[in-house]
Amino acid sequence: MTVGGAESALFWIAGPLAVAGALALLFARKAVHAAVGMATAMIVLGIFYIAQQAEFLGVIQIFVYSGAVMMLFLFVIMLIGVDSSDSLVETIRGQRWAGLLLAAGLAAITIAGIGKAAFGTPRGLAEANKDGNVSGAARLIFGDYVWAFEATSALLITAALGAMLLAHRERLTPKATQADWSRERIRSGENVAGLPAPGVYARHNAVDTPALLPDGSPAELSISRVLRARGQVGTTGALTQVTQEIEHEVGDESDEQATTRKDDDA
Amino acid sequence: MTAALSSVPAADFVATKVEYAAVLPMFIVFGMALVGVLVEAFAPRRVRYPIQLVLTLGGLVAAFLVLVLYSRDHQAKTAGGAIVIDGPALFLQGTVLVLGAVGLLAMAERLDSAAPDTFTQSGSAVPGSPQEAAAVRMGATTTEVFPLVLFAISGMMMFPAAGDLLTMFVALEVLSLPLYILTGLARRRRLLSQEASLKYFLLGAFSSAFFLFGSALIYGFAGSVRFGEIAKAVPQVGGMDSIAVPGVLLIAVGLLFKIGAVPFHSWTPDVYQGAPTPVTGFMAACTKIAAFGALLRVLYVAFEGLRWNWQPVVAVVAALTMIVGAVLSVTQTDVKRLLAYSSITHAGFVLVGVLAMDRTGVSSTMFYLVAYGFSTIAAFALIALVRSSGSEATHLSQWAGLGKSSPVLAGAFSFLMLAFAGIPLTSGFTAKFAVFGAAIAHDGTWLAVIGVLASAVTAFVYVRVIVLMYFSEPSGDTAVLTPSVLTSTAVTIGVAATLLLGIVPSPLLDLAHDSSLFLP
Amino acid sequence: MPHLSTAAVLVAESTGTVHDATGTASYAWLLVALPLAGAAILLLGGKTLNKIGPALATGLSWASFGVGVAIITEMLGRGAEERAQHLHLYSWMPAGGFNLDAGLQLDQLSLTFVMLITFVGSLIHVYSLGYMAHDPDKRRFFAYLNLFIAAMLLLVLADSYLLLFVGWEGVGLASYLLIGFWNWNPAYATAANKAFIVNRVGDAGMLLAIFTMFATFGRVDFAGVNAAVGNASQGALTAIGLLLLVGACGKSAQFPLQSWLGDAMAGPTPVSALIHAATMVTAGVYLIVRSSAIFDAAPDARLAVTIVGAITLLFGAIVGCAKDDMKKALAASTMSQIGYMVLAAGLGPVGYAFAIFHLLTHGFFKAGMFLGAGSVMHGMNDQVDMRRFGGLATFMKITWITFGLGWLAIIGFPGLSGFWSKDKIIESAFVGDGWRPWVFGLAALIGAGITAFYMSRLFFMTFHGKRRWTEDVHPHESPATMTVPMMILGFGSAFLGLALGPTGVITDWLEPVVGGGEEHHPVLAVPVITGLTLVLVAGGVALAWLRYLRDAVPVTPPVGSVATRAARRDLFQDDVNEALLARPGLHLTRALVYADNKGVDGAVGGTAAMIGGTSARIKRVQNGYVRSYALTMLLGVVAVLGVVWVVQ
Repeated sequence: MTVGGAESALFWIAGPLAVAGALALLFARKAVHAAVGMATAMIVLGIFYIAQQAEFLGVIQIFVYSGAVMMLFLFVIMLIGVDSSDSLVETIRGQRWAGLLLAAGLAAITIAGIGKAAFGTPRGLAEANKDGNVSGAARLIFGDYVWAFEATSALLITAALGAMLLAHRERLTPKATQADWSRERIRSGENVAGLPAPGVYARHNAVDTPALLPDGSPAELSISRVLRARGQVGTTGALTQVTQEIEHEVGDESDEQATTRKDDDA
Repeated sequence: MTAALSSVPAADFVATKVEYAAVLPMFIVFGMALVGVLVEAFAPRRVRYPIQLVLTLGGLVAAFLVLVLYSRDHQAKTAGGAIVIDGPALFLQGTVLVLGAVGLLAMAERLDSAAPDTFTQSGSAVPGSPQEAAAVRMGATTTEVFPLVLFAISGMMMFPAAGDLLTMFVALEVLSLPLYILTGLARRRRLLSQEASLKYFLLGAFSSAFFLFGSALIYGFAGSVRFGEIAKAVPQVGGMDSIAVPGVLLIAVGLLFKIGAVPFHSWTPDVYQGAPTPVTGFMAACTKIAAFGALLRVLYVAFEGLRWNWQPVVAVVAALTMIVGAVLSVTQTDVKRLLAYSSITHAGFVLVGVLAMDRTGVSSTMFYLVAYGFSTIAAFALIALVRSSGSEATHLSQWAGLGKSSPVLAGAFSFLMLAFAGIPLTSGFTAKFAVFGAAIAHDGTWLAVIGVLASAVTAFVYVRVIVLMYFSEPSGDTAVLTPSVLTSTAVTIGVAATLLLGIVPSPLLDLAHDSSLFLP
Repeated sequence: MPHLSTAAVLVAESTGTVHDATGTASYAWLLVALPLAGAAILLLGGKTLNKIGPALATGLSWASFGVGVAIITEMLGRGAEERAQHLHLYSWMPAGGFNLDAGLQLDQLSLTFVMLITFVGSLIHVYSLGYMAHDPDKRRFFAYLNLFIAAMLLLVLADSYLLLFVGWEGVGLASYLLIGFWNWNPAYATAANKAFIVNRVGDAGMLLAIFTMFATFGRVDFAGVNAAVGNASQGALTAIGLLLLVGACGKSAQFPLQSWLGDAMAGPTPVSALIHAATMVTAGVYLIVRSSAIFDAAPDARLAVTIVGAITLLFGAIVGCAKDDMKKALAASTMSQIGYMVLAAGLGPVGYAFAIFHLLTHGFFKAGMFLGAGSVMHGMNDQVDMRRFGGLATFMKITWITFGLGWLAIIGFPGLSGFWSKDKIIESAFVGDGWRPWVFGLAALIGAGITAFYMSRLFFMTFHGKRRWTEDVHPHESPATMTVPMMILGFGSAFLGLALGPTGVITDWLEPVVGGGEEHHPVLAVPVITGLTLVLVAGGVALAWLRYLRDAVPVTPPVGSVATRAARRDLFQDDVNEALLARPGLHLTRALVYADNKGVDGAVGGTAAMIGGTSARIKRVQNGYVRSYALTMLLGVVAVLGVVWVVQ
């Protein structure tokens, strides 16, 4: 079995990259880094496949794994929050050492086993790609292994069903329309005109900044309940100061009290 | 590039033949699962439960009838060798169908709720959250469990019939994935349930990795994943034992995990405890059947030639499984954990039968699986009925005095315990006799001795439960719910089968013996 | 399996003497079915049967006796060699290349037992009608009694070791249910438990014996095993014999598995009489006699049987001397008497018939005495402490007389049943060469003396001497349902031995099954042995008279000598069990559990914490333990591969 110079050069450059990517997946502290590491490994694997004249597999590898699966991973990580990371402190004594030791042992045994085995002569690519790489793969997938291929559909449906069960919250009541909300407000007599919108300031405008009441105090209701619960309500002090300065320039003095008032939530 | 991608005419492509008569039962179950998914999508919430129940049960019964009346006469190696419908496969598929139906009856129990009592009404809601309360109030259901069970059963049917490692792996995942989900859907003690589900999933993935690793080694060894080809390669290929033996052992590890053999058992107690109780019964019975079927096929068909290498290892695993399972069951205080360790011990007993390596090994193993399956589904169905302050009372102390307050339940449960202990005139005795007899006839006497001693130890455990129920004063507010016809039927079938297989086991033993020949 | 076919051929040859059941014998299944149906009806029938249930159970038990009588009558009409019959029921279990049929063995040995079981059993049913009259749960009690009768009959009628084992477990279960019948008392439940656990040890031995048989002979039915014994190796036969002995020891409360019998007295007294005196505890003797072919071919195993018998007969006798609890003293006596039977069975063909003979007479007189004890308890507010009895003879005339007959029978008073059966065993024990006749003979002889002492002690303390009653008791005679069975059993205690023993009826009857019949010559002359026995018995009675009738019996037991204290504690049997078996087992369990908790599991605590704990903690628990589980799996994989690697 001989390997050409260009191919071995490719291998020695890309191989370490793939290993590095795989290791990054294991050891990266941030989920995004791990995902990028995995993507790297996947892409390099795709390159290897192509170098082995398994073009179809290589392209699919890059399309499906790096393209679709990895992007899904990244979306999931974005949804969960890039910052959320699990505690990596090991609490069980000896766990890591034992794990490392056993993993090394397993690796040693398998490598030794593979090393000891006397492999026969490879069949060669010519035979495998006899009627073209894609056709060969198709022959396997839709010929010999069609049952396994079709049976995976059960897996996909189960996965979808499971995702629906475990993550999708079924809508139990009809969704309230704007008219419903309006009727409800009028019936209860509270906030008949709707909740106040967040504050709009001269140089600032965001959902986390409360509007000001006529007396200059922040209007709690103008901020989303979720933000209030999280304590992410912005302060109005700096903003009103700017406003006052402008007003001052214009010559329209406002109430003194409002300028000194600070948002308690801040 | 262009040469490789050029359009070579595929005129010579011959579609793989599938002997539909042989695989029709699997198609029925799978088809019903798909119909069930559609019902979830389109049927209004109120009618989903009855529709699903009828569909699922009907599907299972229909599949069983087709299997018995039609497929039995069309045994074949089909789908290009991916599926082998032979005696053991048909026997185990039939068993899975029957036990699946019985297990489903227990799972579908509604008690006084509008939805199956054992499953949460909102799997996505955080336990104890207002959303969960709202879901319960609005009558949400998780009737998706019905198609999930069917998917699991179709995987379980494919598992022992798989003719190559690839199909076997896909079947393994098809049967596992729904079980992971079902495990996490308990209505009560949901955190425990979700924890169990996650553990099962992670460890299952871990074990699958070993299976795949082993398959890769074997592919390297034999150049094929078909069992027939592998069996042919074993005597022919020289100098590669150093990958063939680790390969078969790693494949065995993946299967032994599903069986719950020591040291791959650690998930069992946690998952059995956390999963919804009837699901635990279903898992304990049907997963074991499927996994032992697969193990039998791998060891008997593909790797029979390497038996001198793997047999001692599996024998040690069997011995360890019996000993550890028996000893640890002694100190359990939770009924479900107790039965989990008991199931580990039983797995050891069945492994003793597997190791006989001839037809008696196959037939005794299959008989044991049937006997154990019926008893265990009934036992878990009964456990689900014992409640204390709205939750399942699984702590042993809560079972004290049940013999007085609910004699029927206590009587049935005691009978099942005696069957687990292997007391004569129960199926447990016949089954143990069959596997130990097979082992003794084939140089497994030491395993049988360990087995007998282990069953003496476990007998103590089971009797302790009986003593507790009959000879202790009731404590606390433990109450036994009155089940509907569903659970009652499941329990009656389980208990009746346990008794019948103890008194007149010969028809089933004969059937198992007649179905014990693998197609090569 | 070539040995299978040889065995089959041998069976074919040997079955020439066993005929298929015809006539009445073909209805032998009714023997088991009738009481079993009774148990089923009573258990499933519910409260509606509370009234008539007990009478129904009693009737079915008598019906079974009737069937037995019919079969035995017909059997008597045939020649001695034609009597044994076999009734095929159905094909039971084809497993591992062999087929086993369920069938009944109707020969002289099994029918002897059928008579004993159904007759004494039915009497005890009648007795229980009176004894349990006021028990609210008596329907259940009678159901269990019927279940026991059915199981015991199955045990003795089975035609294979496996079917015998079914009955074996069945009687164990019934015994267990009946010991714990009055389960409001935790001590009773513990006793039931103990009986069950000790019996499991015996059962494991029994099961292993069956498996070894299967491995050696390829079959487990009596006919097949007996026929194939000649082809088996000495080692295998010895192993089977010893394992069978373990089984027999468990069921028959023989040393070293004797500890449960005393505690089993917690059950209602009729149960003690039926199960723990007359029938079930003799199953071990039956097993040994039934397996005579194996024991005859394995002298070492048979010697072990004899030794166990000798030890137990002395052990039980010594314990019996110190017990103040009337039923426990009787239990110790039972243990000792069964020791005699096991000893006799261990002697081989010379002793088999006498073992069974003593078993029969013992069944009568011991059951009679237990019923007497029940009658005493009935009159004494369920007290069992003999130091609180005394002078009851005048108040319970019938009990006194029937119990007295039993007492005279067991100590071997000339002319009564025990004299004929026990003295024969003592004589047989003196047969042989070398050290054996002296050791076993003397053990049997000394045992007879001690028996006389403790039984007289019991009798005097209960029925004679000063009244030492507690204040609230008013002794009175029991109702007729109780006294009539006692009278019948008392009659049997007196004359059964005379009818069967000196006439040679029993030995001739059993000869086709167990052999024997040749003349044997003890190392001492027979009159000398008889004389010595009578002297020792008289000495025992006299000593008891001196200590318990002439001297006043203190109400509180005196501290006593070391020996007495040891005997009171059952010669430390529980302590020994605890130290040898329970503790190491406990430590092993603990060690494993510790490993499980610390290394792997911990989820018990972790789970509890998780439910009430914070979310941070939940995460830690979840991640933590799964990785530990994974580590165990990895360890397993590496170990498995490593071992193979090393071996390769």
